[in-house]
Amino acid sequence: MNRITLIGAGILFTVIASLFGLVLIPSNQFESMQPKEFTNPDGSVVVYPTQLDSWREEPGSFVYRAMGCIYCHSQQVRPEGYGADIERGWGQRRSVPRDYVLQNPPYLGTMRTGPDLANIGVRQTSEQWHYTHLYDPQITSPGSVMPPFGFLFSTHKDVEPKSIPGIPVFKLPESYDYRPTWIVPNEQAMQLVAYLATLRQEHSLEEVK
Amino acid sequence: MSENRVDENRLIPDKSDTATRARIDHSCQGVVVFWYGSSVLWLVLGSALALIASIKLHTPGFLADAAWLTFGRVRPAHLNTMIYGWASMSGMGTLLWLMARLCKLELPWRRILVFAGLYWNMIVAAGTWQILAGNGTSIEWLEFPWMISIPLGAIFVMLIALTIHMLRNRKEKHLYVSQWYLFGATIWFPFLYLAATILIHSSAAVGVAKGTANWWFAHNVLGLWLTPIGLGSAYYFIPKVLGRPIHSYYLSIIGFWTLALFYNWAGTHHLIGGPIPAWLATVGIVGSMMMFVPVLTVAVNHHMTMVGNFHRLRSSPTLRFIVFGAMSYTIVSIQGSLTALRHVNETGHFTHYTIAHAHLGVYAFYTMIAFGSMYYVMPRLVGREWISSRLIKVHFWCCAIGITMYWIGLSWGGWLQGTWMNNPDVPFIDIVKRMVPYLWSRSIAGTLMTIGHFAFAILVWKMIRREGEWLVEPTLFSSDKESALPSETVHGEVAKS
Amino acid sequence: MTTMYIYIWSFVLLFGLSAVGALAWAVQSGQLANFQSGATSIFDEDEPVGEITDAFPTSVKPQPAESKKT
Repeated sequence: MNRITLIGAGILFTVIASLFGLVLIPSNQFESMQPKEFTNPDGSVVVYPTQLDSWREEPGSFVYRAMGCIYCHSQQVRPEGYGADIERGWGQRRSVPRDYVLQNPPYLGTMRTGPDLANIGVRQTSEQWHYTHLYDPQITSPGSVMPPFGFLFSTHKDVEPKSIPGIPVFKLPESYDYRPTWIVPNEQAMQLVAYLATLRQEHSLEEVK
Repeated sequence: MSENRVDENRLIPDKSDTATRARIDHSCQGVVVFWYGSSVLWLVLGSALALIASIKLHTPGFLADAAWLTFGRVRPAHLNTMIYGWASMSGMGTLLWLMARLCKLELPWRRILVFAGLYWNMIVAAGTWQILAGNGTSIEWLEFPWMISIPLGAIFVMLIALTIHMLRNRKEKHLYVSQWYLFGATIWFPFLYLAATILIHSSAAVGVAKGTANWWFAHNVLGLWLTPIGLGSAYYFIPKVLGRPIHSYYLSIIGFWTLALFYNWAGTHHLIGGPIPAWLATVGIVGSMMMFVPVLTVAVNHHMTMVGNFHRLRSSPTLRFIVFGAMSYTIVSIQGSLTALRHVNETGHFTHYTIAHAHLGVYAFYTMIAFGSMYYVMPRLVGREWISSRLIKVHFWCCAIGITMYWIGLSWGGWLQGTWMNNPDVPFIDIVKRMVPYLWSRSIAGTLMTIGHFAFAILVWKMIRREGEWLVEPTLFSSDKESALPSETVHGEVAKS
Repeated sequence: MTTMYIYIWSFVLLFGLSAVGALAWAVQSGQLANFQSGATSIFDEDEPVGEITDAFPTSVKPQPAESKKT
């Protein structure tokens, strides 16, 4: 019985040790990290990282989660010279822990079936591109293997739908279908695109070496 | 049969070994068949989800109109049904039977364990449904919503109590190495699962520490839940089938403690190059490299036990699956250790190479061992032979060829993917297009594996329905049928009675 | 930062010393003597060392018994 207690204690000890080392101690290191203030060239002050708004941006992060975007997209820029993330234009600097202090949890991702999205808000500012790409990636990126998210839109053929203030309407290119087609994003699609626009890590931080 | 009681004061096996063993096996019947049967249902469902996910990656229009089947939901549904449905339930069945056999105790708390199986099934079903409905957490390996995952971890309180109870009341004085591994597994899994769930969903861990918590968990669930069950099984079944003791018992204990020590620290190798302090990545790499120690002890032990007996692979289904699994363990671990090195990781990270590696571990190692274990255990619970040698061989070859094809295709493709990704002159969309043939090879390999799973499901179904021949080995005592069988050794000679 | 180092070092010492202590206890209380015998604990009289205990199912049908098994 003594042996069992000892073995059990050893088993528990090994996992508690790694919990401390890999999670609790780093967490302790990050606890003191806060968003910082930056002064733009035009004199305006911005806080980075910026809290997502509760209207569309934060719900958009939930849509990102619900659609499982992380299974193909990462959100972390590796250092210069290690991989080619910066050379590809996926960021001007590497990602650091402070970039993620407001993200619960951070969507770091581990797969790049699709490109890294840490700076997609900087790289791709066209709403039209985002909505069209989401609706059917083949339109903007032929050969892509990203799934189409047509169920986040309502599709209208032949007749342009009446526009509602605040909700965009996009006409698809003529090559898409012989019938003129318009797409209107639903609330989830708008939230998702608003969220994607917040993904920017362009402020230089002093801890980046 | 129940008249044959083992003298409770004696710790040395006496002449009624067969009766004891039969009683123990019989006591496990209801519980283990339930867990095993459930695991096979999850295996089949998980395989269907796998195929759907795999096809979507090269044919994105496939079933694309349904939100609940979008790749980002089917893929985690596949992972969770396979890990918590197939792997964990099969593992649990084997764990309970091995504990009973090794403690030389009839399995206690049987009604509770069947209820636990029912409960586990419901949780995995609920979790999978939630993932497909869009309520998954997008935390890899922890996609069940916390209200579902906390009850999953909580059932282990009962399991740990059961394990300790059995160990304390064991009739076999010696603690065999498999029991060490299984005891470790029952403690490690709930600790990991509950700690990670709480840390990630509460403010107990901050920012990227949630990421490290994620990978501390996900990597450890592989190494401290699935691996111990797999290794514990291999350490029992290889010597048991061959009738040869493990080559070096000292090595096996060293292997256990070095696994416990080093595996724990390897998790952050999933975040190399990421937004974590450099020391954290380095710690993960060191832990990963140190894993050579336990892996080599296991490899030496299993190999030296098998040496001179490789011809038995032709005649024993269990041995085939388990040796395939054990060898895969060595390969996947060496690959894992090397992939943790920064230079290798620079290419392999974020690519299909990683997926191939993951499947080499969970499938070629763990799942093949699980199949082998079930092939040994089920006949002894139910008292029947498997109905068809041919189906067993179909199962083996489909899965063995399937996973080999899977691993080669995706490792090769993934490595190219990584190499091109690190070359900024290669447009990303070109990389995507060039991956398509490799992704097709995965779908084909997966189809082969699924065929194997169907063969296995048929075999298990027939076994549960007792449609096979009566088991004729001397290990099984069949008093509940009209005519008793003559004692026969496996080679067909009638033993002297 | 210094508190961090104190945590880390005390943890390393605690962990290392208890591992050494456990090993010392194991050697002293004889856990490691006669170790290889443990490997044979999975065998017994009816499934002894040397006996193969698994095979593909045979198509030999069982014959009615001439003698009952005890």
